[in-house]
Order: sequence, then structure tokens, then C-alpha cells
Amino acid sequence: MANIAAQRIKREFKEVIKSEEVAKCAIKVELVNDSFTELKGEIAGPPDTPYEGGNFVLEIKVPETYPFNPPKVRFITKIWHPNISSVTGAICLDILKDQWAAAMTLRTVLLSLQALLSAAEPDDPQDAVVAKQYKEQPEMFRQTAKHWTSVYAGGPAKMSDLDDKIRRLTDMGIEEHNARVALSSYNWDLERATEQLFMTVMAKN
Amino acid sequence: MSFLFNLLKGAFLRMLQLIWFGKRKISNSLSIYVKTNTGNTLSIDLDPKWDIRNLKEIVGPQLGISPEDIKIIFAGKELHNSTIIEECDLGQQSILHAIKLPPGKNRLNRKKDTKNLIEESIDEGSEANESGSKPLNETLIDLPLEDSDRHENHSEQEQQQARAHFYVYCSLPCKSVEAGKLRVRCATCGSGAVTVDRDPQCWPDVQQPRRITVHCENHDCQTLLSSLAQKDEGTPQVRYAQFYFKCANHVSLGEKDEAVPLYLIKPNLRNVPCLACTDTRDTVLVFPCEAGHVTCLDCFRDYCVARLRDRQFEFDDNHGYYTLPCPAGCQNSHISEVHHFRLLSPEQYEQYQRFGTEEYVLRAGGLLCPRPDCGMGIIPPDQTDEERSRSPDEDDCRRIQCIGGCGYVFCRRCLQGFHVGECDSQQPTTYSSTSAVSCLSGYAIDPLRASEAKWDEASKKTIQISTKPCPKCRTPTERDGGCMHMVCTRAGCSFQWCWVCQTEWTRDCMGSHWFG
Repeated sequence: MANIAAQRIKREFKEVIKSEEVAKCAIKVELVNDSFTELKGEIAGPPDTPYEGGNFVLEIKVPETYPFNPPKVRFITKIWHPNISSVTGAICLDILKDQWAAAMTLRTVLLSLQALLSAAEPDDPQDAVVAKQYKEQPEMFRQTAKHWTSVYAGGPAKMSDLDDKIRRLTDMGIEEHNARVALSSYNWDLERATEQLFMTVMAKN
Repeated sequence: MSFLFNLLKGAFLRMLQLIWFGKRKISNSLSIYVKTNTGNTLSIDLDPKWDIRNLKEIVGPQLGISPEDIKIIFAGKELHNSTIIEECDLGQQSILHAIKLPPGKNRLNRKKDTKNLIEESIDEGSEANESGSKPLNETLIDLPLEDSDRHENHSEQEQQQARAHFYVYCSLPCKSVEAGKLRVRCATCGSGAVTVDRDPQCWPDVQQPRRITVHCENHDCQTLLSSLAQKDEGTPQVRYAQFYFKCANHVSLGEKDEAVPLYLIKPNLRNVPCLACTDTRDTVLVFPCEAGHVTCLDCFRDYCVARLRDRQFEFDDNHGYYTLPCPAGCQNSHISEVHHFRLLSPEQYEQYQRFGTEEYVLRAGGLLCPRPDCGMGIIPPDQTDEERSRSPDEDDCRRIQCIGGCGYVFCRRCLQGFHVGECDSQQPTTYSSTSAVSCLSGYAIDPLRASEAKWDEASKKTIQISTKPCPKCRTPTERDGGCMHMVCTRAGCSFQWCWVCQTEWTRDCMGSHWFG
């Protein structure tokens, strides 16, 4: 069983390595162990999106029953996207669930994920908070996604106003990522983010 | 005497030639039956290196017919005099048909097939006035699944490469997937003494009736046909071929000995790589989808096992078979000959059959006895509307007894031992129903400890702790990560529900507790 999975992944691995997308640095894949059961994928943020310039690392776990069951994929790099959980990196994409077919490969999965970054599907959201912002305040969403890309995925944009707001919170002793999540979730409303953060702290105490 | 001498000399030379070239080893003698259209059957031992002429020379005297007046029919073909016996895919105890030609009939006139004529003239040169053709297994090309993609105009060489190989499931005596042999008989009288008017060119030609006409040599057939025509005027006056398969692995057990053709398994003549492992293997399974996706047999087995383990076989909509679609997810691609699953091990096939039966019972509104090692299928009597309105939740309606099985009495709703009142899903299994342990005289056993010291108690507890039932079909479901949006994987259920609310999944769930 595992033999077919490993053999198939080996070939797909080569297919990705030789693909033109790799030549263009759009996708990348690396081995995590020798048994081909876990891989590390990487996709470049597509141009003309808030993710441009960022590199997003993916965790790819290959089940024993591959390719008859889909690989388990999640984002390791934190990302602000309606179909991807900002907390766990879990992805809501049909081809990774019931629409998986044995003819799909690592390459097609990586390219589909890249396509997901270009065109979100907010009606099937994984992250409800992000989806709401995406639909109701598209510009705010774009800024936030860009900011996350620059902080977590090595994107080029520096957004000093947003950084300032985060610094205000970290100065109060809030952990930086928590501060970012709170501000992003409240459309960078410093007051409401602070309120929410301290309420959680109080609740924990 | 000189005839015998020539015969021996011929055989000797042929053997010498074979030894010389060392290609084929000399096989042992072949015992076959020769049936005549007059009702005689001869048992004959042959040397596989002989040709049909030799056979006629042996059979002729025994039947009192001159060898020139005999034609030999096998598998729908009249065999050519120069055909070597071993090329005919004859097995031990196979049956050949010997037909006496009507006197005065010139065999030259019966030749229609120009291709055979050419072949003969190449093979035999001077003997072009002989009738007959190559055996079916030599002329038959690989059968495409669909009528539409028939092979056109094959060159001799292509035909050599594309020679058909068949796979069958032999239920008796081999009980395994084996090489198969295609045979044909008259659809009207069942006699094997028929010649086909053309070779089958696709699977529908073989599987569907009334596609290929035959010439039947059975004397009684004409009478039978006329009497049928009298009874029903719609009966056609032509005779059709009825194709069937035999297992090539065992000695023929007579004319009734048939095997199921596994028509999706084919020799990989086009060198198509396997969809799953991407290797190019000699034998493959071609799925009945439009694209004709191909897997090797190992990957097909793995595909079945992976689906079987997750109970993910499905009922196909057209026929209701418990089967699998193409692994590439194509539409209308269900395998409709379930004997293909015989490629699995006997244990796995048994599991497939059990799951199929269970799913069928559940689909028909039935229940499976929840008692371990029982699992009896129970289809409770339908409640009448009156009963349902009077007592929708009354205990009597929930009380199911496993009749014909273990006799266990259980609650229809929670599938635990029968109880009065509401089901309590959080409560560990009720221990009251089985307490045989404490009945042994002289031993006082703490009932609580006895209840814990049961073989499957730990599993039951684990299931209770780690799963939640699907709100629709009540299948215990485990969540192994991801979001709270659950999709029931039970075949035919596919209910979308919320792990938190344990009700149908809504946008509210999405908004408030997608991740819990």
C-alpha cells in the first residue's frame, strides 16, 4: 500500500522539480523525510494580489492510501485569506476533500492553491471573520492581507501605520501576533481591538 | 501403411525441427473429444504438433467418412487443414466438431474470406483450394469496450500484436481470476457445431444477443427453429451466435463449464501508464468512463482496499450494484460487472460482500443487529401511519428483537440494549442485558467490575468518548482535525452537520464557531 503512495509521490516530486512553474519560482517542493510521507511545499503569491512578493510554506502529509485519498495540506505561513484559517492554516478547497481524484498530483494541488490565492471564494469561507471583511470592506481586506504577507511571508510592502498600531498594543504587553489578529479582525480599530484583547485577558485570569 | 509411415515421418521431422530451433518444448499428448453432427462422440489422443489434416485422417476412418469430406469446427471456425493443433487454444478434454460435408458440394464455392485465401496461398501455395480458416483465437483482435471504437483495417502485424486475451473469474474449480477462452455456440439449439459469419469486433458483439449470425451444422436445429417460428411469428429465421467463456486454467468440464468474463481487464497493448502508480504494466484494468482511465491490477486492488476500509463503495444509480467509479472521478464510470472485485483476496471479497449486503439492508430502511459478532440484517415491519401518529416514540416501536439471529433485544433509535424511556447517548452501554458472569454459583462477582472486564468494553468507551453520531444516520463519527463542518462519509448519507451543534450545518455555525 504504502509502496504505491511512495512511488507515486517520488514521480510527482520529480514532475514538480522539472516543471516550468519551478523554473519561474512559482512553486517549490521539498522532502521532509526519506519515506515520502511528508513534504514541504511552497507557493509564490500571485501577481496583482495582496499576496504578491510573499512565499507561502505548506505542510503536505501524504496518506498511506495516496493517490486514492487526498494529501492533507495546510498553510504553515500565516495568511489572511477567506478560505484559509488565520489560526490553523487549514484550507477549505473541494479538491482536497470530496472532489479529490486519483489523477491529481502535487503539482496540480500547488497550482490550485495558488489559484485560490488569486480568486478567493468568500461564499465558502474557512475563516468567517476574514470572509466578512473581504465582502464588506474589500480595501481594508487588501491592506490587511498585504500586511500579513509582508510580516509572515516576506512580502515587500511596509505599512508603517499598521505597524504603529501593533506597536501600541505590544507596548502594553500584548504578544505581537495576538495584537495583529485582534487589529485585523476589528478592521484596525485600535480601541475595539484593545477592548477585545483585555476582555480575553481578564477572562483568562 | 505408407500413410502411417508418412505420418510418422512428418511428425518426426517436425519434432526434429522444433528441437533444432529449441523454441518450443515438445508437449505431451492432448486428450480431446470429437463430436459429430450425427450424435457420435469420439475420444482421441492427439499430439499438439499435428495439424488438422492429421486429425481428419485419424477421425475419418473411425467415422467411416473420407478425410476430404470432413470439416472440423472449433470455437465458431472451420479449421484449416494446415492449422497446427496447439495453435488452436485447445485444452485437455476440449470438444471439436467433425461435420460430414454434403456430397457433391464444392468447397471452393464456400470461400468468402479473401484474406484467408491470401493467407492460404502464402502458407500452402499449391493447396489454395482448401476451405477453412484460422482458429478464432488467432484471428480475433483485442475487443474494445464500445462499439464505436472498433479497430479498422488491421495489418497482419498489428493483428498479431493485438491478439485478444481474456480474463475470467472461474468460480469452480479454480476460484480465482484466470486466463479465459472465448467460445461460441448456436443461440437456437446450443450446439457448438457452428461457424460464425464474422469475428466479434467489440464487447457488445460478444455480450449482446443477436449481433452475429452463425451457420449451424446441427441437423435438429432447423426443425427447432421452424417449430419456434410456428409458435411465435417474430422469431427470426436466422441463427445467432451465443458467445461464452471458459477458464483456460483447468481441464474442460464439458459444455456447461463456463466462466464470467472480466471484460475490463485487458492486455496493455497501447502501453498506457497506470493512473495511480504511473508504471506501464502488461495487464491493466480499463474503467468504463469516457476517458477510459487505466490502472494496473495492483493499483486497482489498492484502490478497492482503500475504499473498502473506509466503507466508501457506492450503489450505482442505474443498476444498484455496490461498486466503485473510476478513481479519477469521472461521471457514469461505475463498474457494473462486480466479479472484477474478485481480484481482491477471498477475505477482502467476503468483506466486500458483507458491506454490500449491510448497506443494502440499511438502504432498504432496515437495521443491523448491534450485538458484536451478530450484525444480522433486520427489516422491521413498516409502521402504519395510524400507529405512528398515535405513538411516535412509544417504546413498542423502538423495541427491536434480532429474530433469526442472536435474539438480542435493542432500541431502534440508540442501538443499545432495549430500555424504557428516553435514549441517553451519554450513558455508557447498559449492562443489564448481559449479566451471565455473575450467575455462576459459588462466586460473587462485583457487577461493576464484571461490567468493566468485558472484551470490547474499552473500544465501546473509546467510541463513546471520541465520536459523535451523525444527526441523520447516527453513524459514530470521529473528527480528526480541520474545521467543525462535518460531512457524513456513510455511503448514501453525506449529511452536512456541525460538530458543535450536532445539527445541520448552517451559515450561523460558519460565522460563530467554524473552529470551535
